[in-house]
Amino acid sequence: MKTLLTLSWRNIWRHPARSSVLLAAVIAGLWAGVVTVGLVNGLMQQRIDYLIESEITHAQVHHPEFQAEGYSWLYIPDHAEIVEWLENDERVVSFTSRTITDGMLQSPIKTSGVRIRGIDMPSETRTTNFHDNLVAGEYLDSDIRNAIVIGERLADEHNMELGNRVVLTFEDVDNELTSASFNIVGLFRSASTDYDERNVFVRADELNALLSDTPVHHEIGIMLTDETRAAEVVDALNSEFSGIRAQTWRQLSPELSMLVELGGVMVVLITLIIMLALAFGILNTMLMALFERMREIGMLLSIGMSRRRVFGMIMLEAGILTIAGAAAGMILATLSIQYFSDRGLNLEMFAEGAAQIGFDHIIYPTLSVAEYITILAVVVMITLLASLYPAFKGIRINPLEAARDA
Amino acid sequence: MTIVRTEKLCKVYNPDTVPVHALNNVCIEVDEGEFTALRGPSGSGKTTLLNMIGGLDKPTEGKVFIDGHEISSMKDSKRIDFRLQNIGFVFQHYNLIPVFTAAENVAFIMMLQGRDKQEIRKRTDKLLDQVGLGDRKDARPAQLSGGQQQRVAVARALASEPRFILADEPTANLDTEAAMNLLDIMEKMNREQNITFVFSTHDQRVIDRARRVVTMVDGAIDQDEIQDPDKT
Repeated sequence: MKTLLTLSWRNIWRHPARSSVLLAAVIAGLWAGVVTVGLVNGLMQQRIDYLIESEITHAQVHHPEFQAEGYSWLYIPDHAEIVEWLENDERVVSFTSRTITDGMLQSPIKTSGVRIRGIDMPSETRTTNFHDNLVAGEYLDSDIRNAIVIGERLADEHNMELGNRVVLTFEDVDNELTSASFNIVGLFRSASTDYDERNVFVRADELNALLSDTPVHHEIGIMLTDETRAAEVVDALNSEFSGIRAQTWRQLSPELSMLVELGGVMVVLITLIIMLALAFGILNTMLMALFERMREIGMLLSIGMSRRRVFGMIMLEAGILTIAGAAAGMILATLSIQYFSDRGLNLEMFAEGAAQIGFDHIIYPTLSVAEYITILAVVVMITLLASLYPAFKGIRINPLEAARDA
Repeated sequence: MTIVRTEKLCKVYNPDTVPVHALNNVCIEVDEGEFTALRGPSGSGKTTLLNMIGGLDKPTEGKVFIDGHEISSMKDSKRIDFRLQNIGFVFQHYNLIPVFTAAENVAFIMMLQGRDKQEIRKRTDKLLDQVGLGDRKDARPAQLSGGQQQRVAVARALASEPRFILADEPTANLDTEAAMNLLDIMEKMNREQNITFVFSTHDQRVIDRARRVVTMVDGAIDQDEIQDPDKT
């Protein structure tokens, strides 16, 4: 074995340039695989975290028809009892009630359809971090009456700025049209420009005063100690209270759930393409090395080296290169992931496009240990599989090659 | 004692397209201690015969016996092992492992045989001394002349302590001095250690030194003569 190892090792360095290319291919393949998976993971996770932490939360409660219809009279019944239940459930970290209605935002130059979100500042800031998206002015803790925070993009479209007034028109719970003037106190910029154009924030009590004689709530956003317990909390709420519908974030945002699955498919596809390129690179290099040594392998077979040993020799060569390449690639990939997970990969050139579909242009790659191990195993397996063909070709060489003229 | 015996050996290449009869009913016996040259023009079948005797190729018809073992019907893996234990090869192009030193090239075959490390080291040194390369054992083939490489190849062929050595045109790539030097070594080993050599050759210098010369024409033995040993 030691002799075979020595022979394989020296064979590798017979053509340092060629072996280096193969080594580089393994390193690049592994690095590309790890970084790609890390970036896609990061991209998806950021989007999920952002949506959960800034808006959707782990679970929500609505009137069963509110999401489909959006009317203000479809508010949550037994709100006080649900609040009491949530306050006493140890799985719940925080929750916030929102008053929501769809309406029109009117400025001197334009009218836009918007979703008006009435929020309770103290509980909203405890439950979500949407307030981090504020880019100008102040949030709804302003002293100004009928304050409104709108998207920066919406403000641009209406040519509005801080201190300007807009008129919100919507139907109250009695189906009567109501209008009120609101003062722009703040501008926000979320990850999605589409969201920024269609959502405005006002204080829940001020919206409630316009909607109904008694306060109504259309949504309760709930953050849990553990996201994986969302389904059981939702089930408990649905069985405890009638006339409501509690849903997990996956049910609330099926497109987000699909995004997670799509991300997984994308990772597999990209990795597959990288691995295929790697496999053909290795196959080509190994075959070249083999064709160049036909006579030598013929000689080895002539003097009595078994075909099993010849096979082992070729596979050892591939194995040594794979192990060295995989180790170097893994170190490089881990360092890259660490570097970018701290600083983020800034894809500013795609910022606008990314924002339109709700993605941040600074990506913080993440990778689990299991994913590192999986990619490593796939690269090692692909390399060894790609070496199998040259190795099988090697053992089929006729010993008479040894006597052939050069 | 007969080491090699062939029975009506035939070899036909491309039997289904354009058949080429490389060997026609060749019967030959080689005894222990012989120093035999196979000669003949190109295409006469001497290399084919050597390949059959060496178990590198299978005959279309006929049998090859080495020490009574019929190698022509052996399975490939068994034949490889049989070659490792019984036959030494010297090739026209030396065919040394370029990444190994002279000593490693000689030792390699003994390692394949699974011999003891100390024994391998001793025997390697001894063989390289015998071929006059004791001081070049750490040189790689590229650092040796053609003659020196072929001497390493002879040492390698001897390393496994084979029953006989087959040499295919061993001097074809060597200048006169290197060729004579190589023949001196081979002849000395044959004479002093009773090692059997069979070589195919065009080279008159080799033919002149052989004690038995088998002439082949059109895949058959045309002449088989014993030369006067005093001639050399």
